[in-house]
Amino acid sequence: MKILNLLSKFTLLVALVFNFHLDLSAQSAEEGKALYNANCTACHAINDKVVGPALKDVHKRREEAWLIKWIKNSQALVKSGDAQAVQLYKENNEALMTSFENLSDNEIKSIIAYIKTESEAPAAAANASVATTPGNAEKEETKSDWNSGINWLLFIISIILVLIITTISKILARIGDIQGKPVVNWNKTNSILLLAFLIVGLGAATWEFWAHSKHTIFSSGPASEHGGEYDNMFMVTLVLTGIVFVITQVLLFWYGFKYKADGKRKALYYPDNHKIELLWTIIPAIVLTVLVIRGLMTWNAMMYNKNEKARNIEIYAYQFGWNARYAGTDNKLGAHNFREQGKMNALGVDTNDVNAFDDVITNELHLEVNQPVDLAFRAKDVIHSALLPHFRVQMNVVPGLPTRFAFTPTVTTAEMRLKMKKPTFDYILLCNKICGGAHYRMKMKVVVDTKEEYQKWMNSQKVLVNKNAVNSAAVALK
Amino acid sequence: MSDHNLTHHHEEHEHHEDSFISKYVFSMDHKMIARQFLITGIIMGTIGMLMSLIFRLQLAYPDMKFPFLEGILGHWGKDGKLDPNFYLALITIHGTIMVFYVLTAGLSGTFSNLLIPLQVGARDMASPFMNMLSYWFFFVSSVVLLVSLFVDGGPASAGWTVYPPLSALPKAIPGSGTGMTLWLVAMVLFIASALLGGINYIATVLNMRTKGMKMTRLPLTIWAFLVTAVLGLLSFPVLLGGSLLLIFDRSFGTSFYLSEIVAEFAGGIERTGGSPILFQHLFWFLGHPEVYIILLPALGITSEVIATNSRKPIFGYRAMIGSILAIGILSFIVWGHHMFITGMNPFLGSVFMLGTLIIAVPSAVKTFNYLATLWKGNLQLTPAMLFAIGLVSFFISGGLTGIYLGNAALDINLHDTYFVVAHFHLVMGSAAIFGMLSGIYHWYPRMFGRMMNETAGHIHFWLTIISAYCVFFPMHFMGLAGVPRRYYANTAYDQFNVFVDMNQFITIAAILGGAAQLIFLANFFISIYKGKRAPQNPWNSNTLEWTAPVEHLHGNWPGEIPHVYRWAYDYSKPGAEEDFIPQNIPDAGQIDPMQEAEGLPEPSKKTVQETVLA
Repeated sequence: MKILNLLSKFTLLVALVFNFHLDLSAQSAEEGKALYNANCTACHAINDKVVGPALKDVHKRREEAWLIKWIKNSQALVKSGDAQAVQLYKENNEALMTSFENLSDNEIKSIIAYIKTESEAPAAAANASVATTPGNAEKEETKSDWNSGINWLLFIISIILVLIITTISKILARIGDIQGKPVVNWNKTNSILLLAFLIVGLGAATWEFWAHSKHTIFSSGPASEHGGEYDNMFMVTLVLTGIVFVITQVLLFWYGFKYKADGKRKALYYPDNHKIELLWTIIPAIVLTVLVIRGLMTWNAMMYNKNEKARNIEIYAYQFGWNARYAGTDNKLGAHNFREQGKMNALGVDTNDVNAFDDVITNELHLEVNQPVDLAFRAKDVIHSALLPHFRVQMNVVPGLPTRFAFTPTVTTAEMRLKMKKPTFDYILLCNKICGGAHYRMKMKVVVDTKEEYQKWMNSQKVLVNKNAVNSAAVALK
Repeated sequence: MSDHNLTHHHEEHEHHEDSFISKYVFSMDHKMIARQFLITGIIMGTIGMLMSLIFRLQLAYPDMKFPFLEGILGHWGKDGKLDPNFYLALITIHGTIMVFYVLTAGLSGTFSNLLIPLQVGARDMASPFMNMLSYWFFFVSSVVLLVSLFVDGGPASAGWTVYPPLSALPKAIPGSGTGMTLWLVAMVLFIASALLGGINYIATVLNMRTKGMKMTRLPLTIWAFLVTAVLGLLSFPVLLGGSLLLIFDRSFGTSFYLSEIVAEFAGGIERTGGSPILFQHLFWFLGHPEVYIILLPALGITSEVIATNSRKPIFGYRAMIGSILAIGILSFIVWGHHMFITGMNPFLGSVFMLGTLIIAVPSAVKTFNYLATLWKGNLQLTPAMLFAIGLVSFFISGGLTGIYLGNAALDINLHDTYFVVAHFHLVMGSAAIFGMLSGIYHWYPRMFGRMMNETAGHIHFWLTIISAYCVFFPMHFMGLAGVPRRYYANTAYDQFNVFVDMNQFITIAAILGGAAQLIFLANFFISIYKGKRAPQNPWNSNTLEWTAPVEHLHGNWPGEIPHVYRWAYDYSKPGAEEDFIPQNIPDAGQIDPMQEAEGLPEPSKKTVQETVLA
């Protein structure tokens, strides 16, 4: 009995410890997941090599202390001549990993914990962490396999078809040579094919409009104030160019069909008609004048959109990620000094500028609905471009050249999700100027909140310099 | 050279054999140089196309592994996965090859060289030696570019527009190291080649026309080549300057294009005071005329091919010249439409937008004139004619989307998306390639003295136009959904997942299109040796090149250079016996070539005899 009792107590203890241990790792892995998604996914995936190597089992390959050093400043480690680091640097085409000096040891440890749990999890779940839920991922995988199977079959069939056509045409040509006249009247065949191409082509184009328009940004409507004007301008252009497209293509291929040589007719000698030429110079000119005037109005409305009440936000781009810096309560962004970039001050905010003290730096861009914002863009290294497709906003982010774009978001994320019937939808800001290997993953989540939600979120963010510290500094100065 | 030929061409033709090197390698004969340009262009084009197939595979199947990639790309395709850095290298070199090496040198180099002396009635170029240099600069430039594929860190990877700081800072990406330096060296050599060629073309057209070849009697091909050469001559030096400054920034620590870059990232020297946008201005000052350097020769070829095969004069000859000139002039004041959202002053954006949309007017005039030429024609649907019709179709499809992109307001959301990719691949890529193919099918007998297989040509055309539309038309919709170009994969974006199927469709179509080019390549190279012997004037064309003997000889014409009595487009003239009257046939009683030919030529005795016999 006594032994049994002891045993059960011991089991309980072990279970408790184990449980506790599990809990602990789960908790830090949870935190690690957030950090991983914010900092690492631009260049790394668990199972696949992306820009950097696959991270699966990285905790087995390297020591934790080494990993921390590497993540904080890989360049320094390479320079110090560390054998592992130099080898890794060479293996990856001498591309340096971004330094994450702002991450604490504990934060890095929790990222490693997350990688550990992901490495041990089955592959499907790891895949899911990229974009979709596990069930979906599996379904999609099988679907795409099935699809590609069909596609390749089509491809092989087409190649065989080509071969058959070539052989047949060779045989026909030989028969033609023997008979003394060609078997296939290519002039006639081509003219019929031209007509068929026109009909099938216009049909396919119409089908495309029907099938794919719903995937374009226009289907869900604009999420910003100037977006309506933008969409109108687009539709006007679409209608006008659409009419011209159909008319000219129909004429082109119809003439190709109708006026094929038949050996009975002579062409009409018709070198000139100044009236007609004048007509089809003037009509396009008038249409284009309308488009130019309309376009200039839209362009000026978008570009000269100064609003005193606009909230100032800076968008900061670097290889390969984004930050947002909010101007804080004074709505004045602190100045920046690129020489201060690095160490504790990733964005190079001018620490001598009092306006910077209440600034807030975030990894997500939160906007308040119907509140004008004035985005100022700044880049650390190379040119990036901030594209916010749903807001019809884009501006290049150029190192050393300040750029701006002011607009007003009008639809909250929640409303947009309802409208699109897609509960997982999120607005995005993505990089649209080639900037390096992880360019294609360089994005930032954008959230449009109601006023209350925005305030709540903003209050949960850290201010650059603590107010109390500022006050005490001011007191000390006095 | 030409003097020598004037006196000794007969003997040379019959007795004198050129050594292999002076005939095939360092040839100064414009016809041989044209063939050299063409074959080099075709080889470069094949390489560029294969590159596009590799990155199309990646775009369609981002999760799949292709073990053969490791075989051909080595460590860039480790485990059958294309490296993201090498993806960027591929798109960069694909763009560079297609824009400069195929559609500039391959197209303009080939046909300007072949046709300018033959169509204006000259024995060779103004300076055959410079012409030879032009080809060899181009050749060395091609070699340097291809060598850059094998250097450490890979070739240039900053996009074919090589914007600094990405291209200026060797540390920014692997491809900005040696590969980028070689890219710039290749470009400097290329520009030297383009300038040597261009000066020559202009001098030949202006000074060496035969008697009676007034500017208003020039075939439209020559007008297009002339304006193209002027555009190149005025814009390429700007890129040369821009490239040299970029070399300074890269290698000597200057900051022409760099601002607020910390020392650590910029080779140990803090860079400040320059402007990255400056490079874009310099680049696009060439870059936009470059679009027309590519397009105008294609349009010139099309004008000639459509008129000949419609058996009709080109409609509105003078309006066509006018629109070529208008496009040429306007092309210099629209470069800023590539930079609407770079942070350039919005007022400047308005100005560039105005210029850009004005350029649509001469383009529209050209399209309508082509349509009017086809109207009531007597169409011979040869492969060349089909490709010319295809060009007009692409010119319409791709040109109309230019109205969206030239509109600064609409460009905000469309800039650098797949909409742009669709636009320029249709209007510049496909259209110009079709112009080039049309020219190859049309002038092959002139170039190689043999005919290409027509059936293979027809099949080639149909497969190519279908696959080209299947590849580029759907891309518009991806662009309208905000899918950016130059993305290695779209897997990181939930909302782009809907395009998985479309991407696969596009890739399959692209592979098919590539396979169709095999038919062309086989036809092209086999016909050089086994094609049917070409007759003197296979298409019953009016222009002078068809009066020269089929066998090539230095100096082009064995006797005197023919004089020109009429414009190039007297097709189906009412009352004439045949449906064409070559330019060198005088009217009945016309003695002075400078006099306008208003009437009809004397009925030729030979034809009468033939009719009698029949």
